[in-house]
Amino acid sequence: MGLFKRRTVIVILILFFVAIQLFSVDLRERNSQNPVSKFVLTLTYYPQKFISSLTDKTVDIWRDYLALLNVREENKKLREQLNSLRQERFGVAEIKAQNKRLKKLLLFKDETAYPVMSANVIGASPSILRSQVVIVDKGNIDGVSEGMPVASYDGIVGRILLVGDKSSEVLLITDPVSAVDAYIHRTRARGIVKGIGTGCQMEYIENKSDVSIGDKVISSGKDGFFPKGVIIGTVTSIDSKGSFISAAVAPHVDLNSLEEVIIIQKSVNNVVLNE
Amino acid sequence: MNRTVNVIVLILISILFITLQSTVLSPANRSFFFPDLNLILIVFLAIYTETRGSFLLAAGNGYMMDVLSGNLPGTFTISRLSAYLLVRTSSNHVYLKKIVVQGLVIFFATIFTWAFILSIIKIRSNSGLQISVSEVLIQGLVNTVVGVPLFIAAKRVHARFQK
Repeated sequence: MGLFKRRTVIVILILFFVAIQLFSVDLRERNSQNPVSKFVLTLTYYPQKFISSLTDKTVDIWRDYLALLNVREENKKLREQLNSLRQERFGVAEIKAQNKRLKKLLLFKDETAYPVMSANVIGASPSILRSQVVIVDKGNIDGVSEGMPVASYDGIVGRILLVGDKSSEVLLITDPVSAVDAYIHRTRARGIVKGIGTGCQMEYIENKSDVSIGDKVISSGKDGFFPKGVIIGTVTSIDSKGSFISAAVAPHVDLNSLEEVIIIQKSVNNVVLNE
Repeated sequence: MNRTVNVIVLILISILFITLQSTVLSPANRSFFFPDLNLILIVFLAIYTETRGSFLLAAGNGYMMDVLSGNLPGTFTISRLSAYLLVRTSSNHVYLKKIVVQGLVIFFATIFTWAFILSIIKIRSNSGLQISVSEVLIQGLVNTVVGVPLFIAAKRVHARFQK
């Protein structure tokens, strides 16, 4: 075998076949109650939380520093005043932006029929294979359970995939395994919104249905996961395949810059997955 | 350093790397231009560590990747364990102590790991869980560029502690 021992190659081949047997994208076949997985999630919670807050603080300091550099070029006397005003304004703008987001979240909370809790995004997937996963700072002890829908004030984000004691993993709607039963808001044409990594695709819309670019897509509530009427996204292109129409859907939520989300404490009745 | 301290340090580094990879260095934020620190650590373990059971650390590392990337059971655990075994087998080779060769090992370990995972996905499903060859090659290059200086730094730190 030259560089590699024959025994190693045989062991790797055996491992490969074991991996084939173990691998499943079917969430139903996964043992999500596995205590070791939950332990890993709990183990990484504190460092993730720490690094997440450290990053936020570093960004704040960097912004303050940049603001200072700009002010330095101005008159020395005015510089101090400007500096403090700019910092103050930056602080106020940050508070305003946060206030706006939280107000919208509160509004969403009032609108939904289920109890909800807000959560902060503290991490994301460490792998390029499945990067459509984020980690939030609410877990088992906060009442989160697997399958609960996750949204933001802009619409559906995903659902809880794995729950640790203090943190949980959220599978985003853009993940290829994700599927949401949905309506076209304008015409009530029904279909399934599946994740395609970079966005979503609404499939299985009947050919006779009226679908146009720009139509809003909302959840139907019939998959047992997501409550009815929550916005998913907007139709960006349409393709007719056989007896069905397929529409590309741009998610309404900017999933790349999630900061705060809400977890809808809805028990899961039925599972519809993109398998 | 005695063996216990060695193991504790390696476990802590492992947790630190997985944390960094799931926060500031997450591919969700930086696309595929991010180093896979955990894979670099596994190659390091395979080449340098005398610690018994370092393969368990490699497997644990892979398991953490499995859990944090959507609970894909066994995918990373087994692929990384295989990469570890492959590098470990050839770790007595005299050229493996050269930094250029180590860079190549990191590159090919990345390619091997992804070839392993993508073969499994291809056989088992059409789930859309795919990454392109160019993404894998870029990650291989990024891992090499980041991994080689890390190896040099780790060797120096290790030598200092040995004194």
